[in-house]
Amino acid sequence: MAKKTRIKAKLKKGIVTVKALANHEMLSYREAKSKKKDVNFITYMTAKVNDKIVYEVSTSQFLSKNPYIKFKFKGAQKGDKVVITWNDLKGTTQESTGKIK
Amino acid sequence: MNRRNFFSVGLGVLALSVVPSTLSAANFRETMPKAWTASKVDSAMQEVFGSSTTINSKVKLKAPDIAENGAVIPLTVSSKLAGSKVAIFQDANPESTVAVFTVPENGIIDYSIRIKMQKTGNVYAVVESEGKLYAASKVVKVTIGGCGG
Repeated sequence: MAKKTRIKAKLKKGIVTVKALANHEMLSYREAKSKKKDVNFITYMTAKVNDKIVYEVSTSQFLSKNPYIKFKFKGAQKGDKVVITWNDLKGTTQESTGKIK
Repeated sequence: MNRRNFFSVGLGVLALSVVPSTLSAANFRETMPKAWTASKVDSAMQEVFGSSTTINSKVKLKAPDIAENGAVIPLTVSSKLAGSKVAIFQDANPESTVAVFTVPENGIIDYSIRIKMQKTGNVYAVVESEGKLYAASKVVKVTIGGCGG
């Protein structure tokens, strides 16, 4: 199993900034061909806090390897948990959790 | 109210409280499969937003002028609009759509992401707000392609 997504979340003046680094090869069609591997990339990613979606993105193969994302949202407390889930083309799902500091 | 009724009422409330959160979740790869194979920015925009008429204001797109390495191009899209959807397109790769964000309640449009481009091209950020499309674009010069070409 691949490494977990690294999550850093910080609360400042009511706004939470989340930085996350997902661990994924993100092989586009071209790259997969030259490396003779199967195409695979993250297609859908969400972040939830207290079961409420705070971030949602559908992505293509043009994200960089080990995609890094940053986003902000309001309405969370210190100590709340951020759960980031991604799905890739092969149907793998991974869930990682980080705490808001 | 007998016990059985009470139970069904409880279930109804539970179902109601669950629905809104699932409604906002949309995997655009499933709901709009055509958007991901469109090779032109205009047609990709049509697929995602149903229109390709944009207003060039109120959206900020931060990207490097020159990307030495096309495999990692940091982008930041920000806007003060109360948008509902944000999308990123580019015209350097075979397909145009890079990412489509759904802005949830409490969300702030300030997204950073890293993308790859195989050659020099334009990057477009589009924000949908109250039925209108606001956009920003920028040319990113790529010196080494990042799509393994």
